[in-house]
Amino acid sequence: MTALGWGRRFLLCRPVHFTVAYEINPYMHVQVHPDPEVALAEHDGLVTTLRAAGAEVEFLDPVPGLPDLVFTANAGVVDGGTFVPSRFRHPERQGETVHDTAWFSAHGFRVTPLPGDEPFEGAGDVLPFGAEPGGGGRPVLVAGYRTRSAVGAQTSLGTLLGVPVRTVELVDERFYHVDLVFCPLDERRALVAPQGLDRYGCRVLGELVPEPVWLTDDEAASFCANSVVVGDVIVMPRCTPRLGRILEGAGLSVAVSPVGEFLKAGGGCRCLTVALDVDLSAPVAGSVDEGLVHELP
Amino acid sequence: MSAADQGACSEVVRLDGHVVDSLLLPKVLDAIVDAGASYEILELEMGTTTLDPSHVRIRVNAADEAALDALLADVQVHGVNREDASDAELMAAPADGVLPAEFYSTTNLATWVRVGGHWIESGRPEMDCALVVDPASSPEEGPTGRPRVRMVPMHRVGAGDRVVVGWRGVRVETPARADDADGFGFMTSEVSSEKPKAVSLARVAASIRDARDRRERGTGGGRVLAVCGPAVVHTGAAPALARLVRDGWVQLLFAGNGFATHDIESNVLGTSLGVSLGEGVLSEHGHANHLRVINEVRRFGSIAAAVEAGWLRGGVLYECVRAGVPFVLGGSVRDDGPLPDVISDTVAAADAMRALLDDVDVAVMLATTLHAIATGNLLPAGVETYCVDINQAVVTKLADRGSHQALGIVTDVGLFMGDLADRLCGAEP
Repeated sequence: MTALGWGRRFLLCRPVHFTVAYEINPYMHVQVHPDPEVALAEHDGLVTTLRAAGAEVEFLDPVPGLPDLVFTANAGVVDGGTFVPSRFRHPERQGETVHDTAWFSAHGFRVTPLPGDEPFEGAGDVLPFGAEPGGGGRPVLVAGYRTRSAVGAQTSLGTLLGVPVRTVELVDERFYHVDLVFCPLDERRALVAPQGLDRYGCRVLGELVPEPVWLTDDEAASFCANSVVVGDVIVMPRCTPRLGRILEGAGLSVAVSPVGEFLKAGGGCRCLTVALDVDLSAPVAGSVDEGLVHELP
Repeated sequence: MSAADQGACSEVVRLDGHVVDSLLLPKVLDAIVDAGASYEILELEMGTTTLDPSHVRIRVNAADEAALDALLADVQVHGVNREDASDAELMAAPADGVLPAEFYSTTNLATWVRVGGHWIESGRPEMDCALVVDPASSPEEGPTGRPRVRMVPMHRVGAGDRVVVGWRGVRVETPARADDADGFGFMTSEVSSEKPKAVSLARVAASIRDARDRRERGTGGGRVLAVCGPAVVHTGAAPALARLVRDGWVQLLFAGNGFATHDIESNVLGTSLGVSLGEGVLSEHGHANHLRVINEVRRFGSIAAAVEAGWLRGGVLYECVRAGVPFVLGGSVRDDGPLPDVISDTVAAADAMRALLDDVDVAVMLATTLHAIATGNLLPAGVETYCVDINQAVVTKLADRGSHQALGIVTDVGLFMGDLADRLCGAEP
């Protein structure tokens, strides 16, 4: 396998002020509060697992009154030294942007807002994958729309960053961000949850991903797609024996990092991270000159 | 042809981005078809590389405004946006009978006005009018609660009426072209003295029959209007027209003082402008016959009263009175008398004509220039209009004044009407 060219450096936010204070997805119930101590322990466990897999982890300061700031995947999109901040659909999360932007600004990123005013929820709804044939080896952005991000915003992002975009409609509100239905594993493989897509979306991803791993209903509902790949390690909130065998067969080590308290707010491992080392201008390894190398174990 | 194909309601939309690779374009087109609507791709600019966005302009046709709104709301999430999303600009009329300077001047085509984000179809189209938007109707007036749009002639506008100005938020649509096997088309102003008359006659008869079928179905429409000039009487066409009225083929009649006078004169005295219709010679002192007739009708007070008194016992207007077919007689400055039924205030006459035009969808203009043009000005383009005249210029004139739907038949109206009555009422024994 040719490992992903990104996913070695992440930004997280410790769940000091994390709670369920409002309901903006089907998992959130204000009566069901996460246990703060368990949440902190789970988060620490995730950080440890990521570091053990070889990733660097940086931290955004928690802010009182912004419980979902922990879900840094929705801060925005990183491309090299550029940070494109999100425009949250729900007012409950709109206060996060100023803190996200401040962090990226302070850490040397050029902050470039997306033109227009349509909602756009960052890396939670946009994941780079593989290489576009004829696109100079540049990756394609797989972008989800409807529930949170608007298709027009995803199109603007592609134009802004100069990369092709494949917009797929998220048709099931349980899978409200694209990182709940899609997870790039390497340059040829990705987890895909067809349950959250319509037939057009399934076909788009089926054609884009040379070797898709289609998730079962249980796996999709268990947030299996909301995983973080660090080189040849996949850090997952949950895994089934079937999926574990497939992933290991593909040369990945599975590290399950329980995040049950965060699932109460509708977020898994991927939602709790944003990759800081995505560079969409860099040719995807193995895509241009070397040809695609498919290593079987 | 489905209702959607006829473009009862349509909107031009745009779709931009990587819509081909993401299958957004096929998805949107499928959604349109699945909703029972239809589409027409007006422009498709494909990105030349995978990085270039594509741009598509699509005309979406739906059966009605509600279906179109629902469909466009559904596909908006896929990035489909209305090309013209602006409401019409409204301005209050400054005084009774005075429009704002930049008022939108109407055509005789079906017209929609965008108010509060919704396209609203105006009432019966009429050219050279203003569009007035009435506030949302009260609940008892209709379930929509949407504003109403009327086409209002200048003299009928009231101070403070909200009038559409400029062209934004106004859409007009041409009637669907009928693609019959015989190539019949109403959107033609074709006129020629060299066309086979039998074909034209068959078309007019078929139109009038179709109108009767619509009338009998009770689904609205189906009234036939006859517009008559004095030559209808001079050429001997009046008895045929009277038969058509008597047998229920005509529901409305417009004419002037001349036609009415000669129709009555010919039935009471047997002459038309003093010329004996039987022998074709001027009768003694015949030049005054029409004046004497007018004088008698004035004595009765109205044509209907003359019929009731048994003085008038035949003719077109006699049949109209008997059958309850309304008629409007519009006056002019050269009228003798005039007959008491003639409305000599021309603005009031046009208003009286307007008031009777609902559900008219066939109009036959018979040997008249002024009344044909006056009526043509009031008719929506969707009305099947035939202009029968020996003079080709009348038909051309009508078309030049905007009634492009008129089909001209250059022939002698006397012979034509006789044949038409034979076709519709059966040959006279």
